[in-house]
Amino acid sequence: MRQLLREPLVHFIIVALLVFAGHAAWTSHVAARNGTITVTQEDMQRMAALYASESGALPSQADMAAMVSDKIRDEALSREARRLGLDAGDTIIERRLAQKMSFMVSDLADTPEPDETTLRVWYNAHTDAYTAPPSVTFEHVFLSTDRTDADTTTLLNTLNATSPPDWRTLGDPFILQRAYGDLPFRETVRLFGTDFAAALFALDASDAWQGPVRSALGLHLVHLVAKDEGSLRPFEEVRSRVEADWRDDALRTANETAIANIIKRYRIRIEGAE
Amino acid sequence: MWKTLTLVTTALALVACSGNKSDEAPADIAATPESTAPDGATPGYSAERNAYFGDMHIHTRNSFDAYIFNVRRTADDAYRFAKGETIKHPSGFDMTIAGGPLDFYTVTDHAEYLGILPAMNSKDSPLSELPRSKDMFSTDPAKIQAAFQGVGASVRSGDKIAEMYDEPLINSVWGQNIAAAEKYNEPGVFTTFSAYEFTSVTTEDDEGGFGGGNLHRNVFFRGEAPDRAFSTLDSTNPEDLWDWMDAQRADGRESIAIPHNSNVSDGQMFRLETYNGDPLDAAYADQRNRNEPLVEVTQVKGTSETHPDLSPNDEWANFEIYDELLASNIVSKTNGSYVREAYQNGLKFQEEQGFDPFRFGMTAASDSHVAGGAYAENDFWSKIGIVDGLPFQRGSVPTPGITDWADQPDNQTTQSAKHWFSRWSASGLTGVWAEENTRDAIFDAFRRKETFATTGPRMKVRFFGGFGYTADTLNATDLAKQAYAGGVAMGGDLVGTGEAPNFIAWAIRDANSAPLQRVQVVKVTSGGEAVYDAACSGGTTPDASHRCPDNGASVDIATCTTTDGTGAGELKALWTDPDFVPGQRATYYVRVLENPTCRWSTWEANRNGTPPNPDLPTTIQERAYTSPIWYIPPA
Repeated sequence: MRQLLREPLVHFIIVALLVFAGHAAWTSHVAARNGTITVTQEDMQRMAALYASESGALPSQADMAAMVSDKIRDEALSREARRLGLDAGDTIIERRLAQKMSFMVSDLADTPEPDETTLRVWYNAHTDAYTAPPSVTFEHVFLSTDRTDADTTTLLNTLNATSPPDWRTLGDPFILQRAYGDLPFRETVRLFGTDFAAALFALDASDAWQGPVRSALGLHLVHLVAKDEGSLRPFEEVRSRVEADWRDDALRTANETAIANIIKRYRIRIEGAE
Repeated sequence: MWKTLTLVTTALALVACSGNKSDEAPADIAATPESTAPDGATPGYSAERNAYFGDMHIHTRNSFDAYIFNVRRTADDAYRFAKGETIKHPSGFDMTIAGGPLDFYTVTDHAEYLGILPAMNSKDSPLSELPRSKDMFSTDPAKIQAAFQGVGASVRSGDKIAEMYDEPLINSVWGQNIAAAEKYNEPGVFTTFSAYEFTSVTTEDDEGGFGGGNLHRNVFFRGEAPDRAFSTLDSTNPEDLWDWMDAQRADGRESIAIPHNSNVSDGQMFRLETYNGDPLDAAYADQRNRNEPLVEVTQVKGTSETHPDLSPNDEWANFEIYDELLASNIVSKTNGSYVREAYQNGLKFQEEQGFDPFRFGMTAASDSHVAGGAYAENDFWSKIGIVDGLPFQRGSVPTPGITDWADQPDNQTTQSAKHWFSRWSASGLTGVWAEENTRDAIFDAFRRKETFATTGPRMKVRFFGGFGYTADTLNATDLAKQAYAGGVAMGGDLVGTGEAPNFIAWAIRDANSAPLQRVQVVKVTSGGEAVYDAACSGGTTPDASHRCPDNGASVDIATCTTTDGTGAGELKALWTDPDFVPGQRATYYVRVLENPTCRWSTWEANRNGTPPNPDLPTTIQERAYTSPIWYIPPA
């Protein structure tokens, strides 16, 4: 026995038991001291609002009394459960606590204030996000598949004459629109097919009518009013989006850092892992 | 953007006026633009309406029958997919939408036990402690099946499984789906609706679980959605759903319901009696038409236009026929299950009793349960998840290790493929003609029934009926404007004057799919039906039996390459009914046929280097159906 008392492991166990007993006593002491369950006005308002949103009616006196009594029962039982240590080792409770803590962390993480330089650095590093897709603004006179080349030549001359008739009265009816504004390349492919989109985007904007450009649907004489090559939009134009994107990212990073810092306070040991 | 163009046009007119091109430039260019967009209109607004495409029938992890097949994608994932982003299939491969982003998209998870299975599988939820949860997410197939069948049986019977029916959780998940729809709705660019599926199934005495006749319908809210969804756990009777929708409408929450898979309804979807077997009456017809102005005619589980037994003289009737009841090998009754026959019965009711319970338009959707629809024959992933995600599971290629179909083993996978998955389709999409891509404009198009259904490709089709259309109308550059002004569009009632009506049928191909072969008009009367070719590719005309000549198109089955023949980019016809009977009601709709192409099962066989499954068609003629125009003779 004497020898046993000299064993360091036994010392450790005894100390641990003492600590545990002390902790248990303290917990029960705290529980006893903190023996008041308060149901605040705010609690009751929240319960009433929840009831109303679920049932579509305000709670009666009896409903309210029942909810308050449920709340007291839940609170008392959960305090007792914690006092008995029932919360430890319960996956549901652990996850809920972790979830709550991570919400708390994201509330606590500082909302950073970016300066101009920071934003410009971000913008320069993410130009893809601020580049408008190539697009065209054009009008077209449609010629159904049966038309011959002769028709298109004559028609093109008519459209480019010094005194042209209203282009909208020329050619065949088109089932979709005959004028498109800022139509992105991808959308042009979707409506007219790949060949037409490639050919149209290869033209230069001009006052003159051009073509014919062939699509999967027929021939098109086109008045390419404007072509946007899809340039990077100037920083000034997209500043608010840049700031929002930067903020999202900064907040996410801050949260991750805060959580990483919490994790750092622990020594992590994963059994079986190198 | 539209305003920019108008300004540019105006500026050009001014430039022209200042003498650049002409001193007499037409001064009315700017004054009479093609469309006059009202204040607040979104870019691209057109008074003559644009064609927009969407899929109104998508399931995510929150549907009980998606989660069980390992679907973990959310409503957010679904909307991102529709906007062109790539998401994962539960079998591990990437899914990207064929043909580019859609204009509208709607998540329609089953309302019954919405979001409950994910909770049952989450240690965070007390529901995971239920014995049923432990069985459902065990590794024992028998236990999984029994637990899941129990849920299916409850959805079908309407008897709640009390411990699983966590209503606050269901309502909260419904709220999440509403929030996702709100988040992705972007007027002018992308439209979503708050929606869900009401999952009614008729009972078959000898079938367990979910087996039975399909009476499913999706419910769509125009704007604000209620905070709970009426499901079969409230009542399995669709007429009770309509009562609820009427009550919601009275409270300012407008909605429509779109039924689907009438083909496997066991004759119940267009039954000539009420749900409880009473005779139909005018009040029933009013309520049904008010709440269900549209029907989904084609989707992954087959096409419900008509059946060869119902339309023996329609050479194109045998198309993607799928007729086994849900989760069952019982063949669905044909009568009462198909749209064309319902139109005919509607006219009979109208003539005999003065009401038509089946005056609906047509839509299409995928019914994908993996958050993303598979619309292209050459890029198909079927519907459910881990049980049909791979070619051998859906019977397009033999079981791995086997190259000859004669050696195909007989097991659960091959049986499921044979009865169900091999006969499913890479279909479909809804087209609408709407002024702009907003909730209001698209919902108005649903109400007008100015909709058409396609089996996947995005061909566009217009259909007008009137009394004064001429060859000049057909060639007028403002054809659509004149057609609207001089008649009614698809979905409309054409009230007669005594003279014969004429019709404009007008279609363009999907620039990224096959050329068009022909445009047909399908005519239905109380006494019969007829199919007329109205426009033929290659500039040819239909013969005396109303059929186009062969256009020379072909498919090489071994490679799936096609020759176009005289396949057309655009087909257009002024059509007059050669068998018109003054004084007789008639329902007309347009069917557009593409040139033949390989069916998905052939594409997959070729990729695998094995012969196509001999039990399946090797080619398919993709098509579009318009909502009808109902000709109503003068009183």
